[in-house]
Amino acid sequence: MSVAFLFPGQGAQYAGMLHDIKNKWGLAPTFEEASEVLNQDVLSLDSSEKLKCNKNVQICLFIAGVATVRSFKNKGCSPDVVGGHSIGAFGAAVASEVLSFKEALLLVKKRGELMENAYPDGYGMGVVMGLREHQILSIVHELSTDAAPVYVANLNSPDQITISGTLKAIEKVLEKASKKGARKTKMLHVTVPSHCPLMEGVSSELRKTITEVKGKDPAVPFIGNCKARKLWKAADIKEDLAASVALPVRWHDTTEVMYEMGTRLYIEMAPGRVLTDLAAKSFPEARAISAAESTMKTLLILMEKEKM
Amino acid sequence: MSGIKKTSKSWTTRRDQKAVRLAKIDHLLKGKLLGNAHIIEALELLISPGDKVVLEGDNQKQASFLSKALNEVSADKINGLHMIMSSISRPEHLDIFEKGIAEKIDFSYAGAQSLRVSQMIEDETLKMGEIHTYLELYGRLFIDLIPNIALVAADKADAQGNLYTGANTEETPTIIEATAFKDGIVIVQVNELVEELPRVDIPASWIDCIVVADQPYQLEALFTRDPRHITELQILMAMMTIRGIYERHSVQSLNHGIGFNTAAIELLLPTYGEKLGLKGKICKHWALNPHPTLIPAIESGWIESVHCFGGEVGMEQYTAARPDVFFTGRDGSLRSNRAMCQVAGQYAVDAFVGSTLQIDGEGNSSTVTSGRLSGFGGAPNMGHDPRGRRHSTPAWLDMINEQHELARGRKLVVQMVETFQSGNEPVFVESLDAIKVAKQAGLATAPVMIYGDDVTHVVTEEGIAYLYKAQSLDERKAALEAVAGVTPIGLRHNQNKVEKMRRDGLVAFPEDLQIRRTEAKRSLLAARSVEDLVEWSDGLYNPPAKFRNW
Repeated sequence: MSVAFLFPGQGAQYAGMLHDIKNKWGLAPTFEEASEVLNQDVLSLDSSEKLKCNKNVQICLFIAGVATVRSFKNKGCSPDVVGGHSIGAFGAAVASEVLSFKEALLLVKKRGELMENAYPDGYGMGVVMGLREHQILSIVHELSTDAAPVYVANLNSPDQITISGTLKAIEKVLEKASKKGARKTKMLHVTVPSHCPLMEGVSSELRKTITEVKGKDPAVPFIGNCKARKLWKAADIKEDLAASVALPVRWHDTTEVMYEMGTRLYIEMAPGRVLTDLAAKSFPEARAISAAESTMKTLLILMEKEKM
Repeated sequence: MSGIKKTSKSWTTRRDQKAVRLAKIDHLLKGKLLGNAHIIEALELLISPGDKVVLEGDNQKQASFLSKALNEVSADKINGLHMIMSSISRPEHLDIFEKGIAEKIDFSYAGAQSLRVSQMIEDETLKMGEIHTYLELYGRLFIDLIPNIALVAADKADAQGNLYTGANTEETPTIIEATAFKDGIVIVQVNELVEELPRVDIPASWIDCIVVADQPYQLEALFTRDPRHITELQILMAMMTIRGIYERHSVQSLNHGIGFNTAAIELLLPTYGEKLGLKGKICKHWALNPHPTLIPAIESGWIESVHCFGGEVGMEQYTAARPDVFFTGRDGSLRSNRAMCQVAGQYAVDAFVGSTLQIDGEGNSSTVTSGRLSGFGGAPNMGHDPRGRRHSTPAWLDMINEQHELARGRKLVVQMVETFQSGNEPVFVESLDAIKVAKQAGLATAPVMIYGDDVTHVVTEEGIAYLYKAQSLDERKAALEAVAGVTPIGLRHNQNKVEKMRRDGLVAFPEDLQIRRTEAKRSLLAARSVEDLVEWSDGLYNPPAKFRNW
């Protein structure tokens, strides 16, 4: 059977995350290369102060993902399929050789800047657990207004769904969701209403920049965020990266397509473990493991076993 | 013959074409044997673009060597194939459509690839023929889906090309028959070549080409339910079914689904069933795979016969040692036959007992959930009242619910469901997801697994709805509401009506069947672990590694 590499999105970051990777796997050239591209020491970006800035979060998560892939590559190991959640998709694009590290890093920086500047305050995201997509959709349709819009954002699992929009509207949706039987609801510490139509401006700006990058067809299948499709062409992947910021991430479907393609080992790149838990819950017959919480030796043994 | 001209066309085009194709691989063959290194080359020579190709695979057994090889042929040479598959199971079953090797599909079941199937239909990567039940698909192999090529799997072959398919005979003979007797080409992968076969399941004259695969064909242990996971709620439902349905209607022959509910029934027969004095009165004859959870009932003398659709990994030795119960060959090993068992399950049993994911207010049910086109498999064949049935049995006659000289009986079609699935998702819903999925995929009809008017009983943790007794659609709905718990459908119930239905026998709660909820304990199970099953079998059952924890 086969091995999928999963790249986490926002929420996985923590202070010191890049330092932890450097201590664990070395990879000095990767951090040097990143610092050179950005003209600043990337190892200075993972402090708790710096991580308050959305752009820095995106940059750090992206570098962490690529660093994890590279430490596998140094051992001669590569995945059979890749996918990333939101910003994670850029790491997946590098892992499948669609974009170079440098190209992707500049795009990530641009994406972070655009998103940060789009909505200074009053917007964010929330999460609902224990209700299904159609149930949340009906609440959202009922409560969203032109003045205070709110949307269904990411479908992380059949019963873990995020919403994006104005803080006021999100609060209302969460309240109603609780009344309708949600197991848990909460506001997320995110200042940007990602993955909804409020990001259409960001998406089209990003599309302009991304078109300038040539890109290569992927070396291994890449599962896109927008429709959870297996993508084969550089152009389709670039479009997915640009469009995704204004569309829901169909994450559960992404991992299910991987499963149907034969994935029985999901490895989540550093620094995350959220995607590991989601995959473990959805696919009891498969194994899911967080690279950040394992040793390279364990990971390599599991990969070898899976590919036999 | 007044003036009508006889056509002067050739009557042997298929036969001639077969000869031409086979001549192309003559240099690769030794007798009927093809070296496995040449399989891709041979497929490219034997298959023509647009051919109808049957690729063997059901929910258990897969011609995996041949499906991998088909996925590697050049799409420039072989393309636009019309695939006919019982089950779309393996990743490459769909990869061939992405590559253009195949174009159209007629199938029965796609559980293991249901999301990709839905996506590819939406993206038009895959042109949909029809979704069938197993029997319909087998039927069409002889009518309008006659194969040009069959790619199938067997356990062993001898030098002449005779095949042994043993416990996992399944649909191999059916597929080969439709192909071989209409001048199609039959290619078989075998696990090994032997001097002498244990027995001949399929004769050499039906076969054109044999290849020894690099690995044994894929085989899943799909029907093994670990008794450890049976809950007390499922035991309660099993007790109600035994009392309120099997005993009440004298159900003697039946088919069970693969859920834990029905596994619980199998394990309660030697304990709870025995206590009720039902041995020899119910559950004597089965159309069923060799479920390991059937072992205690067999060993305690409950079961007279079992005919199997397929085998079950680990049950080979056990079934071979119980030839009075199972169908076995002269060599002693099990012979299954999916087509025959489907026919038996459709026409010759008193009852079908299965489970589902969604039931609507009228009793229609479906396992299709949003965005996933999983197909049917064989359940609808068993889960309906075959109106061509003419023989009677006590259970069949007991379903007569009218005074009429021409009144006829009915098969019992029983749905056993808990009112909520895991994750707080109600089973009883206002509208089936199947309706939405049908629209998305452009299907001619909504993929309903079992229609409400075929269902005679619904069992939940609340009680039993005896739907066959309902005199109108409104009564059927009300009886369902009475057992649908706190789902949107269940919340519609009217307490006065429910009491009346209990008095009229349209609905029964556990207490109406003299069952105390507190009686439903795991200690009632004849086996509480896979280890217990092995012990019951005197060590003849060899569970696969994933079910062993000792």
